Amino acid sequence: MFVARVTGSLVATQKVAAMVGWKLLIVEPYRLEPTERTSLMSTGRTFVAVDTLGAGVDDLVLITQGSSARATPETKSMPIDTIVVGIVDKVHVESHCVYSREE
Amino acid sequence: MRIAQVIGTVTLCQLHPSFCGGRLKLAVPLSLDNLTGKSEPTAPPIVVWDELGAGIGDRIAMAEGPEASQPFRPELKPVDAYNSAILDQIDIRLET
Amino acid sequence: MHAGKVIGTATATIKHPTLTGAKLLLVQLTLADGVTPDGDPLLVVDGVGAGCGETVLISSDTRRARELLAANATPVRWTTIGIKD
Repeated sequence: MFVARVTGSLVATQKVAAMVGWKLLIVEPYRLEPTERTSLMSTGRTFVAVDTLGAGVDDLVLITQGSSARATPETKSMPIDTIVVGIVDKVHVESHCVYSREE
Repeated sequence: MRIAQVIGTVTLCQLHPSFCGGRLKLAVPLSLDNLTGKSEPTAPPIVVWDELGAGIGDRIAMAEGPEASQPFRPELKPVDAYNSAILDQIDIRLET
Repeated sequence: MHAGKVIGTATATIKHPTLTGAKLLLVQLTLADGVTPDGDPLLVVDGVGAGCGETVLISSDTRRARELLAANATPVRWTTIGIKD
């Protein structure tokens, strides 16, 4: 899994039947800022992820990729490989809090 | 599986029901140069499902991809990185 | 399948039950030059009695992993299936 920031959503009216009713989010994977290691930064890449939780823009989310993305009752019949499995509350690196949702 | 070093933790405030009770660690996969001390790990961290109780600094055997969800069978769990073992010792012998 | 050199071993006390009794090898794959590492070293469960310095044939066949470990639900992907002469 990896953490990613929600930067937007994607609407497709014409899509495979199994995906009707599910929201698609644009997410940017985040990584640890390499020098200070006290904050998170974007990798500059983007993915489209199926949202099962109601995440919104600017939320930091946990993403599962690959065939494991279909290992839920909701997604098992969808032709997808990326889903949101959680909304991140806090990320700690060693004893530092590098992300907190409240701040 | 790859070797990864645990550097932190991730907590969630909303989660898929199948993630209830799971503990998530932040871990960096290690290259040969990282393992032999020639360089510091710089790869992007991966969030790993941990049932074994790994601590900061521990080196773990990290299963990735479809295998990471196998331990939960027949239950479905959307896990793509799983801590399979906390390594006690890594013995590297490179020919000179 | 890949051929790679065994560069080490790893041991663990706290582990997934399907790894009990399994020997873990550290295998480094290389680029075509035979020297430059191709990716991170892999943890491979040994099924052929391979040791450090040997070049082994490894496979990601999950049925082989399940048979070798006598378990249906194992996180193991890579196993050795041969040693290069």
